Amino acid sequence: MFRKVLVANRGEIAVRLIRALREAKVASVAVYSDADRLAPHVQMADEAVHLGAAPASESYLRIDKIIDAARRHSVDAIHPGYGFLSENADFADACAQAGIIFIGPTASAIRKLGSKTAARKLAIAAGAPVVPGTESGISDEHEAQRIARNIGFPVLLKASAGGGGKGMRRVDRAEDLPAARRDASSEALRAFGNGEVYIEKLIVEPRHIEIQILGDHHGNLIHLGERECSVQRRHQKVIEECPSPVMLEHPGLRAKMGEAALNIARAAGYTSAGTVEFLVDRDRNFYFLEVNTRLQVEHPVTELVTSIDLVQWQLRIAAGELLTISQQDIRWTGSAIECRVYAEDPASGFLPSPGRIEVLREPSGPGVRLDSGVFEGWNVPLEYDPLLAKLATWAPSREDSIQRMQRALGEYVVGGIRTNLSFFVDVLRDPQFRAGNLSTAFLDHFFDRVSLPPANLEQEAAVALVLALARHSHKQTPSPAKSSWLQSGRLDLLR
Amino acid sequence: MKFETQIGGHAGTLSIDADRLHYQREGGDPVACEFSCEQAGEGAYTVLLNGASYQIVLLPAGEVWVNGSTFRAEVFDPRGLRGRRGPDSETGRKSIAALMPGRIVRVLVEAGQTVEAGQGLVVVEAMKMQNEMKAPRAGKVAQVKAQPGTTVAAGEVLLVLE
Repeated sequence: MFRKVLVANRGEIAVRLIRALREAKVASVAVYSDADRLAPHVQMADEAVHLGAAPASESYLRIDKIIDAARRHSVDAIHPGYGFLSENADFADACAQAGIIFIGPTASAIRKLGSKTAARKLAIAAGAPVVPGTESGISDEHEAQRIARNIGFPVLLKASAGGGGKGMRRVDRAEDLPAARRDASSEALRAFGNGEVYIEKLIVEPRHIEIQILGDHHGNLIHLGERECSVQRRHQKVIEECPSPVMLEHPGLRAKMGEAALNIARAAGYTSAGTVEFLVDRDRNFYFLEVNTRLQVEHPVTELVTSIDLVQWQLRIAAGELLTISQQDIRWTGSAIECRVYAEDPASGFLPSPGRIEVLREPSGPGVRLDSGVFEGWNVPLEYDPLLAKLATWAPSREDSIQRMQRALGEYVVGGIRTNLSFFVDVLRDPQFRAGNLSTAFLDHFFDRVSLPPANLEQEAAVALVLALARHSHKQTPSPAKSSWLQSGRLDLLR
Repeated sequence: MKFETQIGGHAGTLSIDADRLHYQREGGDPVACEFSCEQAGEGAYTVLLNGASYQIVLLPAGEVWVNGSTFRAEVFDPRGLRGRRGPDSETGRKSIAALMPGRIVRVLVEAGQTVEAGQGLVVVEAMKMQNEMKAPRAGKVAQVKAQPGTTVAAGEVLLVLE
């Protein structure tokens, strides 16, 4: 096993990785930007290195600075997490040239799969079904128009280097194509340093189901089943679960999709943890979408259901160890759900809500897993992804897991910035969600039908009471108080 | 003691008399019962009403968390001065303010330019998401305050239409 590993990331995933390293008795080195000096990952790591200014292009995306930090701190390996440099083959190469192990697939596998267009070609060769579309980025406007017409609108623009919905646009009409391509390309360039965009047929209201794979350097390759990530907003996943409700109705589908994923991975010589994403249409046909050549945000749901620690296996595999789990060993037990807690305001169209967290109370208790990257008093920077934490629950059945999530959400308090916690409460009590009737259009329909829960007048009275007692003793709005103002205010009232 | 209340957008009144309260939301059934209210840490309270337990946490910006839900909530002392300001007068000028804190990516118009309703004005980016501010109505750009590359707070005026 390694002696020391640099974590080339920030936020909750950097915390997750540092935890895994500590459990493996491996020293950790954090990196940080000007905005992140106080970030939890910097505080938790054994060592920490400053990279540069807050924009990712001057810090977390700077290969030269990260390699330099790794050298100066004599690390054996670098874990890139997700996002940032995690799917950058040049970074994997730079690690190799510096004699440092990149914890992830080989640069060659990233090149074969990391570009969605290259991955399509490979998937077709491996016999996997794909969505109709172009196999390379389109730079010429006339060419783009011709291809979009041939495929038929609506089409989807996607960043060749991307993931997570960045640089993605739905286009319904030919006249919208130029503006959409410009926006998608500029967003892709910012997010991934590569503005290449390609065109694909839009499958209407599919499910998004992905297969987790794990391979070592000795030819062993297994899949750990699916995650259903259909609940998405702006192509960004918000709720993920395992098993997919579809698998309960169609028990053979997991094995079929797993086999397709393994064929693609095998063709690319894939090692480490990775995810093969598919769209599943209403007739349970599945189409290869892309491969994420990294650890996924939503990996905890797989870990909860299979009891396999994906990060520990990434470390062991990168250190050259044998994957000792065989496909027959994998058991899927119970049901896990994850909610991505974002700093965004559901009341104003989910606009980002960076700023200082003034109040934070986190849920816990049986079956609850919280992967958080924030603390009370932390100033959530506006430069990065709005993900604050991932709240996951496990229970023997899907219904119990949803109920447990409702319970955990009810314990979660975040004040000072807006979060989407209340939105999850609404989604989880939606009958369609409860019934497992999911698709990537789920939320569009949900927003049309969602209704407010009935008024709880007694609860309103309780709120009014606390504020009134506070108001009576202090003429100004009470700040979270240290004094016994409430007590004195009440005594005052009772006199 | 009597108070006027605004809880989650609903107006009401609250009277407190010794250990009894009477709450009446406009158009709702009255809540009248004994209460127990204790502070349970910084900004945290526990209230018992009719045997039901309410956990309450005061949040910044006039928000209150209660049993898993967050409300905007206010109480007013009816004896206090609270002259409500009327709506801003219609001068024909319309300030376009940032909806979220972020960084100005692009300014799509210039001062003096005529714009149509729905036309893109300024692109603001925060947390890797770009938000294009659009003209709420047709008009002329009177003033451009937004500078590409600079950071703005929510509510900061980016440009003025007339």
